[in-house]
Amino acid sequence: MSDPLTLSLNGICRSFGPVQVLHDVDIALHPGQVHALIGENGAGKSTTMKIMSGYLAPTTGELTLNGVPVSFMNSQDAEAQGVVLIHQEFNLADQLSVEQNIFLGHEKTRGLFLDKATMQTETRALLKRLNCEVDPSARVQDIANADKQMVEIAKALSRNAKVLIMDEPTAVLTAREADVLFEQVEKLKADGVAILFTSHKLDEVKRISDQITVLRDGHVVSQGPASDYDEDQMATAMVGRDVSSLYPVRAGEIGTTAALEVTGLTVPGFAEDVSFTLHKGEILGISGLIGSGRTEMIEGLVGLRSATGQVRLNGDDVRFKSPSQAQAAGLCYLTEDRKSRGLLLNKGMRENLTLQSLPDFTNWLIDHTAEEVALTKAIEEFDIRAPTRHVAVGNLSGGNQQKLLIAKIMLADPSIVVIDEPTRGIDIGTKQQIYEFIHALSAQDKSIIVISSEMQEVIGLADRVLVMRTGRIAGEVSGADMTEDKIVRLAMGLDAQKEETV
Amino acid sequence: MLTADKNKHTKNMLLDLKVMGPILALIVLVLVGAALNGNFLSAGNVSNVLSRSAFIGIIAVGMTFVITAGGLDLSVGSMAAFIAGLMILVMNGLLPSMGAGWPLVMVGLLTAIVAGTAAGFINGFLITTMRIDAFIVTLGTMGIYRSLVTWLADGGTLSLDFGMRAIIRPIYFDGILGISWPIIVFALVAVIGELVMRRAAFGRHVAAVGSNDQVARYSSVNVNKVRMMTYIFLGVLVGIATIMYVPRLGSASSSTGVLWELEAIAAVIIGGTMLKGGFGRVWGTIIGVLILSLIGNILNLTDGVSPYLNGAVQGVIIILAVILQRDKKAEG
Amino acid sequence: MKFTKFAGAVALGATLVMPAFAQDTKVIGVSIPAATHGWAGGMNFHAQEAVKRLEEVYPELDFVLATASDAAKQVNDIEDMVATRNIDALVVLPFESEPLTSPVKAVSDGGAWVTVVDRGLSIEGIEDLYVAGDNAGFGKVSGEFMVSAMPEGGKIVAFRGIPTSIDNERVAGFEAAIEGSGIEVIGMEHGNWNRDDSFVVMQDFLSKHAQIDAVWASDDDMAIGILAAIEAAGRDDIQFVLGGAGMKEMIARTRDGDAMIPANVTYPPSMIATAIELTAVGLTSTAPVSGTFVIGSVLVTQDNAAEFYYADSPF
Repeated sequence: MSDPLTLSLNGICRSFGPVQVLHDVDIALHPGQVHALIGENGAGKSTTMKIMSGYLAPTTGELTLNGVPVSFMNSQDAEAQGVVLIHQEFNLADQLSVEQNIFLGHEKTRGLFLDKATMQTETRALLKRLNCEVDPSARVQDIANADKQMVEIAKALSRNAKVLIMDEPTAVLTAREADVLFEQVEKLKADGVAILFTSHKLDEVKRISDQITVLRDGHVVSQGPASDYDEDQMATAMVGRDVSSLYPVRAGEIGTTAALEVTGLTVPGFAEDVSFTLHKGEILGISGLIGSGRTEMIEGLVGLRSATGQVRLNGDDVRFKSPSQAQAAGLCYLTEDRKSRGLLLNKGMRENLTLQSLPDFTNWLIDHTAEEVALTKAIEEFDIRAPTRHVAVGNLSGGNQQKLLIAKIMLADPSIVVIDEPTRGIDIGTKQQIYEFIHALSAQDKSIIVISSEMQEVIGLADRVLVMRTGRIAGEVSGADMTEDKIVRLAMGLDAQKEETV
Repeated sequence: MLTADKNKHTKNMLLDLKVMGPILALIVLVLVGAALNGNFLSAGNVSNVLSRSAFIGIIAVGMTFVITAGGLDLSVGSMAAFIAGLMILVMNGLLPSMGAGWPLVMVGLLTAIVAGTAAGFINGFLITTMRIDAFIVTLGTMGIYRSLVTWLADGGTLSLDFGMRAIIRPIYFDGILGISWPIIVFALVAVIGELVMRRAAFGRHVAAVGSNDQVARYSSVNVNKVRMMTYIFLGVLVGIATIMYVPRLGSASSSTGVLWELEAIAAVIIGGTMLKGGFGRVWGTIIGVLILSLIGNILNLTDGVSPYLNGAVQGVIIILAVILQRDKKAEG
Repeated sequence: MKFTKFAGAVALGATLVMPAFAQDTKVIGVSIPAATHGWAGGMNFHAQEAVKRLEEVYPELDFVLATASDAAKQVNDIEDMVATRNIDALVVLPFESEPLTSPVKAVSDGGAWVTVVDRGLSIEGIEDLYVAGDNAGFGKVSGEFMVSAMPEGGKIVAFRGIPTSIDNERVAGFEAAIEGSGIEVIGMEHGNWNRDDSFVVMQDFLSKHAQIDAVWASDDDMAIGILAAIEAAGRDDIQFVLGGAGMKEMIARTRDGDAMIPANVTYPPSMIATAIELTAVGLTSTAPVSGTFVIGSVLVTQDNAAEFYYADSPF
């Protein structure tokens, strides 16, 4: 590779209108180092990355490349100088091939025609450098998420990136896919690329970064070599208070009466013969690998998918053909996908809050005053922080969106709630708040099912954990048995093997 | 700080323009019309323009709901022609047994409403239950209804019996206090439509479905039912529009209602409803309909612009109205 | 109408001598515009009637009838007829002259008989037989009636059809006929041969002009919309409305002495039947039928209206 680059932000401030979101930020990215930028949602990480990569200009302060002040006119200008941002949502054309994506907008030509041979060769070389075995002619929509990430990186390298900025690169990757990514990051480091990345997963940060910068409310509150931090210290710096006790202590009594009894629930293609019981006031965790049918099983239960089997709710036989029937019976499901299934991003908080329980606000016409009262109450109760009451919810941070979504579900006053991935993509401070909400609900004698891919989360929250594997309940753990090791074994089917060999 | 204030000011202006754009365009048209011809604001001309806007207007109110829910209906013009033909055939057919009179008129009105409901249901059923794209379904039914009316009329014109025509005529030409029935019905439909869109749960659900049908589904909204209802609602309104239309000339042919669907869609978009769904406003649609009618009226009342250019003037206004309302390009 | 009768006579003659010529089945293709307005509806009716009748009269003839909603579709229809039915003769009422000229020429070059109806092609000499309506004559007869009905002159508004060469020829003929007569055209707009459009345009004319003495509607569909607008406005300054093309309801009103509709000018949609029949004769006999047949426009008044009333026609 050609000369390595050091990118520095010196005293960067940035305001949007009257609101100042960055205060005097200093960060230096050095060749061959991985720099982690961490902070709660809304701390200013995105703005910082956008300023680094030319998407936004700083209000005051300067950027330097190898000590020389620069000002990027736009992101193309930044790319031309070797600074590339990889967005959290992939920026790839699904219908085009890997190779076409890598050279999109920078196609090699020979005369009037595309120089396919050269592009093919270069694509192979790039992918080989990343140890990625994806076929250059495969369509992007057909390849795995991890490979897509690699294609993004290959694309950046093809632009001769010397400073690579990655916005939550592992958010959509499984643990194994993330491992592959980290191996490649190591290779890039060795090549002298300067890397900055953000992540909410502090174990990852600890594992791969050399330098750490912690942002809070637009200020750099802590900065130093990664070796100086452990996860608790990072979290405390981010939140500004002690978060070592992430999970609240179980206060409520767990009832013994069954609230929900499911027998032989089958969702064709996803879940088979699932049976379990949920008690009043209980928090039941459901764990399992992604694709194990957890979400689909519950969607079958609440009438979002067709399913067969027996369901008893508070002792009555029920069969839900639609979510509205389930809701009427007091059973609500909170989706894992708040952006495309949970909230109308271009609508305001009021419309979103009451959408699920609109009939309660309607007497011929919708009672706007009652809606406003409900919103005020929800904002207070769930600590939703929005710039104004009329903001489109797409402009709220992920954590506040999640709180609004919980408020929306709770407005329907269900006696049983299924919360799917309650804290995906949410900063640690908000996580703690959400865990407290969940506990408060169970204390009100509501029964709760929590589905989560985060092992720690189910263990910390639930009274009992069901583990699913390939559409079936692989086992149940509770009490002292609720350990990561035990759950992983069930999820991977290892216990079964062991038993067979015995 | 100074620049910040200035930015804020521009932003408010843009916001206002988004809401006020169609109203401003309407006011400008009225001023231009009044300046060009003294008769423009006469009671007779105002009444003419409002009455003739009623057909498209009533249909466009229904179209606002369909488009807001993320759908589209290209069949309304043909549907109107077909319902008009059916209404005339039924009345002519029952004339010998029932005799000319109001009972027969009532049967005619009922025919139109029932046929409209059924036609809307068929569109809705194919789109929701059979999951065929709305564009394709209504493109198909557009051709079907147009052919059916041509076939019913044997290629010519279906004419209402002369005696019946005299009885039914007042539905278009008479009214209360000098305001003709089409205007009254149009106003009623507009007010109810606006109320439903803004204040009723159905209107909220329509916007939610158009904005993101998955979110609506996960929020216990019966998405198919909401979609279905928008098409049925539109079908009923096409029936009502036809009830206003038939008394005017007492006839229907294959040239009845040609391009009404595009005029209705244009009015909806001029009014600020988003073509991709998720947001709609009925009052905007009403303004859109009036803008379109006024353009034709003004061009007829004045000399100087070639009638060949009528379509061009309409096209320019539609594009201008949408430019005024477009979202400021999202910043990075 | 005379020509229809003449052709019928020839056809009858041909039927009698038919056995002598009985041989392979011959195919006649008929390509016409779809029934999108009253006149075209009548023309479709007459075409279907003629085909039905002639198929019985000439067992050795086969007919293919296609209606097109635009010129491009009509070109496709004709190409299909040649390719799949191998037609021996083509009767075509061109949607528009320009786009149909070369496809029809190709048929003619391929050796088939070509009969063109109503609208001429852009190049002369392609067709074997041209059965033409007289659009300039239509305008002229209309204008002459206006002049005779308004000897003192007066103010009129005029309605045009869909912008086409037919419309231009009619208007030119009309304007030439009223030249210098003292009749002033104070407004002229397109009513597109459509009742609804004409209703709206007439309403606006009535708002714009305080005094209108007469209306040249130029078409009976448009006349119906115009009459409704006048009636609704309650204006009594308009003395009469002159339509055209001879729709049966309007002919009936003229016959019955309706003062608002004192006359009509024919442009018979049955000219298509004439053309099909002459083509059949040309194909099955040695009778000379090639050349040009102009079907003139005739003024219909109360005196002769009964002759032009066809109870069975939809138009």
